[in-house]
Amino acid sequence: MNSFFRKLRWLTRRSGKEAELKEELQFHLEEEAKQRQEDGLTEDKARWAARRELGNLLVVEENTRAAWGWTRLEQLAFDAGYGLRQVRRNPAFSAIAIATLALGIGGIAAMFSAVDAVLIRPLPYGDADRLVMLWDDFTGEGRSGHMPAPAEWLEWRRHNVVFTDIAATQPGDATLSGDSEPEQVPARKATASLWSVLGVSPLIGRVFTEEEDEKGVRVAVISHGLWQRRYGGAPDVLGRKISVNDSPYEVIGVMPREFFFMPARDIDLWIPASFPAAMKTNFSWHDAQVVARLKPGVTLERAQESMAALSRQVTAKDFRGPHAVVVKPLREEMAGKTQTALIVLLCASAALLLIACVNLANLLMSRSTTRGREVALRTALGAERGRLVAQFLTESLVLAVLGAVAGLVLAMPAMRFLETLVPETMGRVRLVLDWRVLAFCSGVAMVATLIFGLAPALRGSRLAPQKGLREGGRGTAGARSHWLQHSLIVIETALAVVLLTSGGLLLQTFQQLRNTDLGIRSEKLLTFETPLFRYRDFDRRVAFVNAQLEQIRAIPGVVNAGAISRIPLTAGDQATFYLLAGQSRDNISRRQVALTRVVTRDYFHTIGARLREGRFFEIFDRRSESPVAIVNESFADRNFPGRSPLGARLKFGNLNEKGYWYTITGVVKEIRDRGVTEELKPTIYRLHEQANQSGDQPSGIVVRTAVEPAAIVSAVRQAIWSVDKNQPLWRVRTLEDIVDGQLSTPTQSTTLLSVFALLALLLASLGLYGVLSYAVTQRVNEIGVRMALGARSSEIPLHFGKRGLALTLTGLIIGLALAAIATRSMTSLLYGFRPEYVLTVTAVSFILLVVAALACFVPARRASRVDPVIALRSE
Amino acid sequence: MRREALSRVELLQGTLDLLILRTLLAGPAHGHAVAKHIQRTSEDLLQVETGSLYPALHRLEAKGWIAPSWDLSEKGKRARFYRLTPLGRKQLTAERSKWEAFSRAMTLVLNPADQGTQ
Repeated sequence: MNSFFRKLRWLTRRSGKEAELKEELQFHLEEEAKQRQEDGLTEDKARWAARRELGNLLVVEENTRAAWGWTRLEQLAFDAGYGLRQVRRNPAFSAIAIATLALGIGGIAAMFSAVDAVLIRPLPYGDADRLVMLWDDFTGEGRSGHMPAPAEWLEWRRHNVVFTDIAATQPGDATLSGDSEPEQVPARKATASLWSVLGVSPLIGRVFTEEEDEKGVRVAVISHGLWQRRYGGAPDVLGRKISVNDSPYEVIGVMPREFFFMPARDIDLWIPASFPAAMKTNFSWHDAQVVARLKPGVTLERAQESMAALSRQVTAKDFRGPHAVVVKPLREEMAGKTQTALIVLLCASAALLLIACVNLANLLMSRSTTRGREVALRTALGAERGRLVAQFLTESLVLAVLGAVAGLVLAMPAMRFLETLVPETMGRVRLVLDWRVLAFCSGVAMVATLIFGLAPALRGSRLAPQKGLREGGRGTAGARSHWLQHSLIVIETALAVVLLTSGGLLLQTFQQLRNTDLGIRSEKLLTFETPLFRYRDFDRRVAFVNAQLEQIRAIPGVVNAGAISRIPLTAGDQATFYLLAGQSRDNISRRQVALTRVVTRDYFHTIGARLREGRFFEIFDRRSESPVAIVNESFADRNFPGRSPLGARLKFGNLNEKGYWYTITGVVKEIRDRGVTEELKPTIYRLHEQANQSGDQPSGIVVRTAVEPAAIVSAVRQAIWSVDKNQPLWRVRTLEDIVDGQLSTPTQSTTLLSVFALLALLLASLGLYGVLSYAVTQRVNEIGVRMALGARSSEIPLHFGKRGLALTLTGLIIGLALAAIATRSMTSLLYGFRPEYVLTVTAVSFILLVVAALACFVPARRASRVDPVIALRSE
Repeated sequence: MRREALSRVELLQGTLDLLILRTLLAGPAHGHAVAKHIQRTSEDLLQVETGSLYPALHRLEAKGWIAPSWDLSEKGKRARFYRLTPLGRKQLTAERSKWEAFSRAMTLVLNPADQGTQ
């Protein structure tokens, strides 16, 4: 501290010190001269001897000043000032440099802010890195991350040695009614351990206890959003009785605004799971998500091993046979596919920045040769090499800082776009330029400075003074400089090829995703859900569903309407076992599961499904003891390969004597029931009014309209309320919304990667253009001589064209090799498609060569126009 | 003519500071006097380069071990004199014992025979 103030004081007395130093050294020279005179030299000779002994006065002064401290900082300020003047003096050069850097830095800054928000920033739980999720490992059935059943995780909770505790949540969407309009909200049933496992506490009130969970006390913890929206943020909401699915629940706590938990950010209501005793030994009810907290010191691997062993023991009684569990970090679970997308995009933006830097290095190198005279002069005057390097680097830093500022301006709109890439499972995020992004950006600017500034600085400062001065100010460059510049061109071309190839593959995948046959005509199809918990009685339910559909069909603009237990494309893996006629119940395979859907008669007609064979449900399929079923192609192909399944009989869900035997009456072409990007599964459809089989209810409504679907939403509400004024309806969206939502990650990653790839191509071709035209400028004399000696004017451009082509081809080959490696890390973004590598590679090569040819053409043409007379005169 | 030393010893890294501090122990002196004193006392074996003397003096000043003041030289000219500060005195003691330990160690290693006779 002391020395700091001393330095500070000195700094203020700076000019005084300068004079003192001069006087001190002057005194030394005089003393020395006097002494030498005493030793017998003449006055003149003595003075010269003293001067010689001292050496370079400027260097001594400089070194002494260095001992004062602060000089580095002063130098920096001086060099930065000089750098700024350079920027103003060469506006064209500076504009290109700053714009190039702005693209590079802006891209990586925006990507970093998204990566930071999704993958780095701590989740809103206590010690969130210790949280993991547990899934059944049904690899044998082709599924690894399956939801566990209560009989499993209750045992895990009791016997595990690696977790401090385990908590489970189950779906439990709820209708709130009574206090105001009925409202359907996303809700979860949770064990009381959830709160302690997550390490969260409510904003006001309390959370439910183990005892309340055990006894089935009706209490509810609500989200901050619901509290504000429905209860106006009133503090007296605590203790209030609210009606949840027609049962009274007491509100006991409100969670903080930033709280969210799997599986979605918008869950509004948390109620005790309170499992009935029968559930606790149930091995087949797989609908829970299980989260656990690792004990201190326990690693993920150890937990994985220990839990796999425990699970095999626990599931020995399971009819599926013993199986292991998968232990996955919560963060990974939440980020999902976005994680890969973000990492790939971050790498792409880094590659773009690298290209920008390489480009700029080339530009600076071209300039540093033209600045050779300045360097030579300064070296002759005693400037040290290190000092010159520092100066060049500082000038580069000035450019980098300006580029970073411009980049941040570019990053802001990009961040708005990236916000939508944050997965549904995480809290809503607003990406902002906070100190983390700014700090990252400063770091990037510094690294970029080193990357693009170091080579030119080292090269530029190496020039021998006599050579630089002798050349009389004309730029010079030896063979070495070509070698370096050429490698830089190859590097940036290769990087651009990697980006183009990856972008091309994503684009193909995206095209394929977009062209996926959904099995549904998706345009003008409105969907929504009507929870049917108030219609537990079969006859009343059938009557209500049919009546509301009748009312909806009567709305002008509606073509048809139908109902299904799960809106198509919205997932739901609720698979059940089935039994084909002739099979014994005891030896059905573990893989013999199918999705089941219950539909109304008009459902298939409404969504525009197509038949492979047989028929859809008809008016004569009335209530019966021998109902009919429709299966999809996957089901038919698996169970009846090469023959028709029509007329075959099967049971599902309820496999004992009481279960209905269904007769297959139709095979429907594949409908993407589980989602656009998900794999198809065998599916069985049954008619809701034909048989009273417990389980699914036709709560999802699809409406085919002739007009814009949004225009009839309120009419649909009125139609339903005319049948039952307390019927809630929610999740109103068109099928196209659903498709867009599911394709948002591929859409955005494809768009961004394509933008990065195109910018990379642009920068790489600018780089090639720059280097070639620089080479032409440098060799004007040589060209002049050649032409004077009779070279034909077509040979000259060919020479330069060949060189450009050689560089591009080298870059292309290296780039394609790198791309082959890089694309391996993004297989999960290809959604199981096998894109045509050859097609992409061909397209990329073609585009690159065309662009490179253009970049070569202009300088080459300029070379051919060189007038030998003018060229030689400049010698 | 000045007598050229037959063999001149290169100054070891970091020893210049110690020599300057020791020289100033006798009393305040200006830069030239310091250089001459070191040269004389070392019987011309040590030649202090002016190029490193002044940076060293200013470095020691920045550390607060020596303090400058302007005074008149023997010949009546204004000169920058340096004197040892209490902090510098302490530093000298420390550096000196370090150097003595080092030089003893060097002697021990270079003349291992002596050890046997002791």
